[in-house]
Amino acid sequence: MKISSNSGQLVSQVLTGEVWPPLADSRAYRVGPDGQPFALPGMGGVTLGAGCGSPATGYASDHLEPGASVRHRDPAANMALQFLTCVGNPVRVETGPAAGAVGHVIGQHAYVLADFAEPVLAGLTTGDAVTVTACGQGLALTGHDAIVVKNCAPGLLAQMPGGTRPDGRLEVHVAARVPAEAIGAGAGMSSEYANTDLMGAYPGLGDDLSLGLEGLRIGDIVSLAAADHRYGRGYRDGYLTIGVISTGQCMMFGHGPGPSSLLTGPAAAFHLVDDPAANLSCWYHPELEGAR
Amino acid sequence: MTTRSAALARPVAVNLLGVIEHPVLGDGPYRIDADGHPYLPVGDGGIVLGLQLGDSVFARKADHAAPGACLVHPDPAARHALATYSCIGNQVRVRTGRSAGARGVVIGKRGEEGRVIAAFRPAELAAMRPADEVSIRACGQGCRPDGFPAGLTVLNIDPGLFEVLPMVRPSASGDGPVSVGVRCSVPSKLAGNGLGRPAVSWDLDLQLRPPDSDRSPAGDAAGAGAGGVQLGDFVAVTDIDARFNVGYRKGWVTVGIVVHGASPLPGHGPGITPILTGPASVLDIRREAAGHVGLTAQMLKLQ
Repeated sequence: MKISSNSGQLVSQVLTGEVWPPLADSRAYRVGPDGQPFALPGMGGVTLGAGCGSPATGYASDHLEPGASVRHRDPAANMALQFLTCVGNPVRVETGPAAGAVGHVIGQHAYVLADFAEPVLAGLTTGDAVTVTACGQGLALTGHDAIVVKNCAPGLLAQMPGGTRPDGRLEVHVAARVPAEAIGAGAGMSSEYANTDLMGAYPGLGDDLSLGLEGLRIGDIVSLAAADHRYGRGYRDGYLTIGVISTGQCMMFGHGPGPSSLLTGPAAAFHLVDDPAANLSCWYHPELEGAR
Repeated sequence: MTTRSAALARPVAVNLLGVIEHPVLGDGPYRIDADGHPYLPVGDGGIVLGLQLGDSVFARKADHAAPGACLVHPDPAARHALATYSCIGNQVRVRTGRSAGARGVVIGKRGEEGRVIAAFRPAELAAMRPADEVSIRACGQGCRPDGFPAGLTVLNIDPGLFEVLPMVRPSASGDGPVSVGVRCSVPSKLAGNGLGRPAVSWDLDLQLRPPDSDRSPAGDAAGAGAGGVQLGDFVAVTDIDARFNVGYRKGWVTVGIVVHGASPLPGHGPGITPILTGPASVLDIRREAAGHVGLTAQMLKLQ
């Protein structure tokens, strides 16, 4: 993105975490939109076969978290890990057969979500230690005072197409525009934690559930209409939020593929360009594009 | 027929122990409002005095304040059961403390960890203190009153309460739509916290701001009557299905009772406890922007 920022003023912090297991309970089943019971994997651990550039939906999965799901064992340290980590930050594997491999953060979902090349993921499992070099919170754009940056590594911003236009607005390329009706679970939560589930993306279920979002891909940059994520996640006319789809398929009602928040402000401060290539895979894993 | 036998199933009641909640805060006093200003949350749980059914949800400088006492249980699983099985209209009896013997009524519930909201007569509420114990005669989940169409789901309400709610009118034939008078009908895009959560144990916050607010995030989207919402009002949310978690479904309507007041937090606001959800063909909304009367202390014999 052709833009000036205060990135030179930011510091990085070295954080640790471990690949955290999927969690279930003794009753196993949850309930889908039409009352259908399901017990499906996808959240926690290492999820294979879906990464940046892959379709977000169409899997037998619930709360699909691509790649490795990471937490810190200490609750307060975990909150620091979740809040400080930004999309685009590097994640290095420290233990196990994949030690030494480096991937990137693609979002938060009560786990830090780290995407790695598929051969690396194949050698990664629950308990493996990782290091996150966290940098990005506090990032501000020069000349775009009304826009607040969230969870966005300076490196990601630099690689995104667009930038400051002659009219002063910020040009951002988006793969999809999401209507306000799609906002589901996650409304009212902090915009530095977890993400915003989008409803209306249940392929194969009823037309009355659809908001036309079945074509989303993991890693897509999207705009959320009437979403103000400056101080949490709420509805506000005349605002919008730019996010990156960091989680995929949900069977649970009121949930769905979720964007982690990146930029938010008055809609008039943005110039959106519809661009199917607006996806993290183009910038962080170009070698994977089309391979999945 | 399965639906028929389910409709005729007899309800059971369970007596639950509720403990009056003490408000809790974190290490720091402040939360951040939708405009980025820090504020200290007052009225978020515990015993709240000076607030009653029929008061405007915007009347107080408070956060999620409910008219009465919030009931919890020290064991997390028992607390979830308390919130899930308690229904609006259930009778509450105070068992300990200075108001022992006083009668209250469940008027709603709130989500996350689980809270049941109970209304009492003002003098008896004022004499109560956190940790006082109450017994709730919980009954209602799974029940369906006679004369309600099969496609309409009823939840969170005592089976006997419909008899004292004049705004709820079943069809004469028994299989036509139920007609419900509401203060306003809010579009689903203004639903906030509570989406994706189970409506049998959570409320659904509506992102409404005072009508005179110069920073009203909802603008005109909320529609007529939204600025006049009162505690106890019936409010409809369009395109929301609340049967299996709360979520978007085109052509559906959910009606709930307003159980707590506004909140400065983004994504939060006055909350409804859903009681009816179904396709618009079985739930007919009568908008009563002016003159709507919701759940009152008189209906609950608490005046």
